[in-house]
Amino acid sequence: MSGVSLLVQPVWLILLPLVGSIMVFLLASRRAAVGVAVVAGNLALVAGSIGRLGITGPWQHSVGGWGAPLGIDLYLDGLSATMLAMTALVSLGISAYSAAYFSAAAARHFWPLWLLLLTAMNALFLSRDLFNLYVTLELVGIAAVALTAMRGQREALVAAMRYLLTTLLGSMSYLLGVALLYHSTGSVDMVLVGEAPIPASVAAAAFALMAVGLLLKTALFPFHFWLPGAHSSASAPVSAALSALVVKVGFYILLRLWIEVFPALGDGVAWLLGILGGVAVLWGSLQAILQQRAKMLVAYSTVAQLGYFFLALPLVAAGGSRVWGAIVLLVIAHALAKAAMFMAAGNLLAFAGHDRIRDLDRVVQRMPLTAAALGLAGVSIMGLPPSGGFSGKWLLLQASLEQGNWPIALVLLLGGVLAAVYVFKLLEHIFTSGTPLGEPRAVARTMEWAPLMLAIGAIVLGFLATTTLDFLIIGEPFVPGRRDDY
Amino acid sequence: MTGVVRWAFAGLLAVLAFGLASVVLQIPGTGSALRSQVMAQLPQSGVDHAVTAVLLNFRGYDTFLELVVLLLALFGAWGLSDSIDEAPLDTDIDVLTELVAFLVPVLIVVAAYLLWVGAYSPGGAFQGGAVLAGAGVLLSLCDPGWRSRRVERIGEVLLVPGVLVFLLVGLASMLLGGQFLEYPRDMAGSLILLVEGFAMLSIAVTLHTLFAGTPRFGGGA
Repeated sequence: MSGVSLLVQPVWLILLPLVGSIMVFLLASRRAAVGVAVVAGNLALVAGSIGRLGITGPWQHSVGGWGAPLGIDLYLDGLSATMLAMTALVSLGISAYSAAYFSAAAARHFWPLWLLLLTAMNALFLSRDLFNLYVTLELVGIAAVALTAMRGQREALVAAMRYLLTTLLGSMSYLLGVALLYHSTGSVDMVLVGEAPIPASVAAAAFALMAVGLLLKTALFPFHFWLPGAHSSASAPVSAALSALVVKVGFYILLRLWIEVFPALGDGVAWLLGILGGVAVLWGSLQAILQQRAKMLVAYSTVAQLGYFFLALPLVAAGGSRVWGAIVLLVIAHALAKAAMFMAAGNLLAFAGHDRIRDLDRVVQRMPLTAAALGLAGVSIMGLPPSGGFSGKWLLLQASLEQGNWPIALVLLLGGVLAAVYVFKLLEHIFTSGTPLGEPRAVARTMEWAPLMLAIGAIVLGFLATTTLDFLIIGEPFVPGRRDDY
Repeated sequence: MTGVVRWAFAGLLAVLAFGLASVVLQIPGTGSALRSQVMAQLPQSGVDHAVTAVLLNFRGYDTFLELVVLLLALFGAWGLSDSIDEAPLDTDIDVLTELVAFLVPVLIVVAAYLLWVGAYSPGGAFQGGAVLAGAGVLLSLCDPGWRSRRVERIGEVLLVPGVLVFLLVGLASMLLGGQFLEYPRDMAGSLILLVEGFAMLSIAVTLHTLFAGTPRFGGGA
């Protein structure tokens, strides 16, 4: 193995943040600088992997040299690379923000946990082994809970405890499903399990268990009960990571299971999840409109936006790769926009000392970059052109009209209108004057630039939609079955 | 009202359990297919015990990540420890001191034995590490000096070799032209013992630290 090919091994995506976490744990100072450097290095590694993927196609790595079913296979295709790229970009924004956000005392707790969360998410997106996915899910869950609890206030501790119990219940349910599949197929490799004959009742039970576990973690209505508390009470960069990235990993696994392991799922399941998604869009948006605090509004907006991923599931049977691609576009657009929104909301909180929407006072003059970040992220969340949110919703709207599926089209349009109401509710008070309640505090420059860059990313995604969709299908992630061309 | 809800919930759970049980009974017995593969490859794995072969070789990557879970649990608990006040310990108990002086050397030998025996019967790093951590807990119960700043700093550094040595062995196997964690066949046994030895040490220190708490990690600040 030559030096170059050794360096572009995606295994580094797991090892670099892990070593970085241990380093910042042992360091006595300069934790933020090392942390940001590691996350920047991670982005460079992802870029290298993407380059390699474009040249050589999908990539497989049999850890330990055994190969499935005895060993564990890592796998990189267009879909996993896209998720890794999304995670790397958003993580870099969050890291730049965190470097200025945390005090020295908080930083020594934040950086080791944050880099382990990145390790866990990278490992998860690379895994193709159902049990290994469980291990990475646990890593993601525990890191996310620890980051939520880190703030130490009563509100955060209560929310973190609820989050911990929910995420553990989700993991257990998922694991029970894995056990059923292993017992009936003798393998935990996703592709091998998908190829093995599984009795219909066992497949149904395993899917139900795994899906419920993952939906708990993804907070699809009515499993969203833990999300607003946890996402709004964490510190701003942690909220951004939870809402933008952590909830997506459950959906990613569900997507892989849907395609690889349970390709024979009936329309009924798609419709059930689609209806829950539709209710999530409407219910989450209405709740967001009713909120009085900026962070709660943004958190309920996540409940609504997660709904779109599921709302589109009834369209995939006939729409195939195009609909999956549109869903993934929405996942990325939401990650960029929501991270920007939470960090911008964190700026409002740091600036004014509170985040009561009614009392926010002409932030636009004092923090024009933060206001711009909120505005641009809002454009993508509402689904206005040009933005990643628009491209994704437009493709879904097209597919639903082609298939004559007017209920989904209706929810798509209605959801956009409701999103406009809550986004403008936030923007309106930022642009208008209120009664200043205290002396505003200055916010560091990087804390303004980081959300703005991510929000711009959400807009730029709209122009790169075709490129992203083409890249996404490298290795045909949306077609079930074994692919031998790696 | 709560009673009714509780009974309804119990009924629902009973129905679920019954449904799951009936599904499990329908599964054809193919789950042992992998066992024959494990047994077939066992001579290549460097150890004679199937569980150790799966945990440290065939699926060593899972175990590697499990060590990361332990480290993560410690980081998480450490993040909360700032707000916890420690009660002073009553360490002046003769029976405890005598007992610990007798037990700790024995526990260290037991831990080493468990580590060694893992190659051909049940045992290994996690079991040995738990025993060693127990010895550490006993020590810190009767000797406050055990929790001095210097010992804490040593403990802090000892938390990481479990993961790091595992990682370095994995990298070395990549440099030798294999995949991550692909041990050269003739060295597999010794590498597994090396990995497990450091894993045991770090597991012991991690578990002990979770018990004793070290709020001053990371120096400074």
